[in-house]
Amino acid sequence: MKKECVAMLLAGGQGSRLYVLTGSVAKPAVSFGGKYRIIDFPLSNCTNSGIDTVGVLTQYRPLELNSYIGSGQAWDLDSSVGGVHILPPYMGSSGGSWYKGTANAIYQNIGFVDMYDPDYVVILSGDHIYKMDYAKMVDAHKKAGAACTISVMEVPWADASRFGIMSVDADMNITEFAEKPKEPKSNLASMGIYVFSWKELKKYLNEDEADPASENDFGKNIIPNMLKAGEKMLAYRFEGYWKDVGTLESLWDANMDMLTPDSGLDLLDNSWPIYAQTVAAPAAFIGTESEVIHSAFNRGDDIEGKVEESVLSQNVTIEKGAVVDHSVLFPGVKVEAGAVISYAIIGEGCAIGKDCRIGEAPGKSDGEWGVTVLGPGCSVEAGRVIKAKRMLDSEGKEIAR
Amino acid sequence: MIGIHGIVFAYQKRNNLQELVSMRASASVPFGGRYRAIDFAISNLVNAGAKDVGVLVQERYQSLLDHIGTGKDFDLSKKRGGLRILPPFSIRDGHGSDTFRGKMEALCGVRSYIADIRQEYVVMMDGDLVTNLPLRQIVDNHIKSDADITVVCGNDSFYVDSGTYFQTDETGRVNDVLYNIHTPRGRRGLEVYILSKKLLLEIVDDCLSHDKYSLRRDVLQAKKDELVIKTYVWNGFAAQVRSVKEYFERSMQLLNPAIRKELFCEERPIRAKSADKSSAYLAPGGSIHNSLIADGCSVAGTVENSILFPGVVVEKGAVVRNSVLFKETYVGERSETAFVIADKRVSLSAGSTIIGSASYPIAIAKESKI
Repeated sequence: MKKECVAMLLAGGQGSRLYVLTGSVAKPAVSFGGKYRIIDFPLSNCTNSGIDTVGVLTQYRPLELNSYIGSGQAWDLDSSVGGVHILPPYMGSSGGSWYKGTANAIYQNIGFVDMYDPDYVVILSGDHIYKMDYAKMVDAHKKAGAACTISVMEVPWADASRFGIMSVDADMNITEFAEKPKEPKSNLASMGIYVFSWKELKKYLNEDEADPASENDFGKNIIPNMLKAGEKMLAYRFEGYWKDVGTLESLWDANMDMLTPDSGLDLLDNSWPIYAQTVAAPAAFIGTESEVIHSAFNRGDDIEGKVEESVLSQNVTIEKGAVVDHSVLFPGVKVEAGAVISYAIIGEGCAIGKDCRIGEAPGKSDGEWGVTVLGPGCSVEAGRVIKAKRMLDSEGKEIAR
Repeated sequence: MIGIHGIVFAYQKRNNLQELVSMRASASVPFGGRYRAIDFAISNLVNAGAKDVGVLVQERYQSLLDHIGTGKDFDLSKKRGGLRILPPFSIRDGHGSDTFRGKMEALCGVRSYIADIRQEYVVMMDGDLVTNLPLRQIVDNHIKSDADITVVCGNDSFYVDSGTYFQTDETGRVNDVLYNIHTPRGRRGLEVYILSKKLLLEIVDDCLSHDKYSLRRDVLQAKKDELVIKTYVWNGFAAQVRSVKEYFERSMQLLNPAIRKELFCEERPIRAKSADKSSAYLAPGGSIHNSLIADGCSVAGTVENSILFPGVVVEKGAVVRNSVLFKETYVGERSETAFVIADKRVSLSAGSTIIGSASYPIAIAKESKI
């Protein structure tokens, strides 16, 4: 069955910069914004953009991600033809291997893409928070007759050296690409979202695979090779909120952005809904003696304590006398009376005992400041103190970052 | 496990629900912050192991269809069986075109559906009963007992509109069934009935051939000596949502943690259609106390002792007290509500005030602009 456009979602990274949060789950399955997982954003963007065929490339700790995606019904991606497919590496008649790089992951699934005989393939990443209409980007790609279109956004000049930077001509044709340049010639950063004409991409994937020196990576190999060969490469300017949440600090930042509509991340806006698997739980309850200030919360929450500038996922319990500020609590966290959580990310199902002190405000810590992070399922015994920038794994053991 | 089949009566009009039922059957009245009344009946049945559930509807069921859809939120979207919506389909001689005169008339209209039931036992419930019964255990008790019909009763004689009350002898057998009584006596029937498919079909055929239509009069009263009818007494929360006042009082009871814990117990989750809304958001300067707040609400004003359904907006300086605000109600700046039930997408413009009282809460019709 022919499809005009197929999306391939790269969800196979280790997510090692999220440390204990990805100890047992793949990065795209990490919670975000109280109600979501990171992967809800690209999947919802696909369905809202009219793309009904999505391959999700996974290889690390896929169990939770697989069960979360399920039939894809939550995102309307459970069509009889197309829909969402989980694509782990597999053995063929002549062997098989792990995905060696982003390009190799697509190379290994050329057969999958060919089943739908698409004209265009959209390559997405599983660690970005943004709302984007991919259909408009595909239209621009079509109109320009490009071989590859790369979505870019303006970043402050000071930050430009942290990104892949595109130089463009007046028609937005890419003239030069530099990965993390020391002296950037432009401030248009690649967002890691690509549209390829499938015929061209297939050719470059095959050539790349034949090159033993290649790292089989889109940014390092495929894009530079296509530029060198003189293919028509278009930059597509994106305006709006976009954030890579691949590090603990950026994940925490993006959650806090949700509390400030000025940040551009307005999840209450219904015109471009982000879908998610949901849980059966009653509406959140905010108690008589509680004190909730500028926060987001979800179904199943039971708040009797103080919550300030924080994001609470589903089924979180905050007992009377507990204080949570500037923190992100994943689903099912229980905070007992008298505990104080400050500037922290608390993983799914953690139990925080009475009078614990977890995390510190910037400026109040002795050593280097950073967000304090607890791995999923971690149980912290009453009275324990965990300082800024520390991490606990699921067993409650302190881990260096 | 012996299979059970669920039948939900969702055709009733409850005129004392006033504006809340002008566009919908009482079974699809929103309840408890994110549910429709019928979510409770269907969840009770599914949690008890029912794989097939038929929902009897007659008119104003568009809202209900929209809410329960194919039944996928209840895991009832199946190739075989699952959820079936049952409008009257054997309309003969005008039969079924008028409002059903009773539950038996509604059942007679779907006789062929009942004949095809593949389970041995049937549980019949009202779509506007809000409760979370240990239904599997009640069914197992019924199967073990000598009862032909088990009726579930509340452990009280509360007055409810059009209520049915059961009096029993010392063995627990029903010896009288009362309705239309001014001063209730006996136990309040929750209109949950358990019986075998075989008996149900016999009763339907008997009623069809004699043009009988009332479950209460023509079956429960008329056959109380012939059939063994027993009660199961439920001590927990059970609201029959049949008037605005009762709706309001029963809703407010959900602010009591003990009642919430029982009604939303973890072993028997209440399922519902999920609105795709973001987290609820409390803006700087806003405050919320003793309230249930659903997903996607945005509060910049003050909310106390209230229940907010998904997507309600309370602007700066607005005060919402003792109110139930349905989906996407908008409360403008400096507006004030107390003892109000605002239906879906009611909009209160800046500075408006609506105050009801505890004994007479004000229901505002869907999409009203104030």
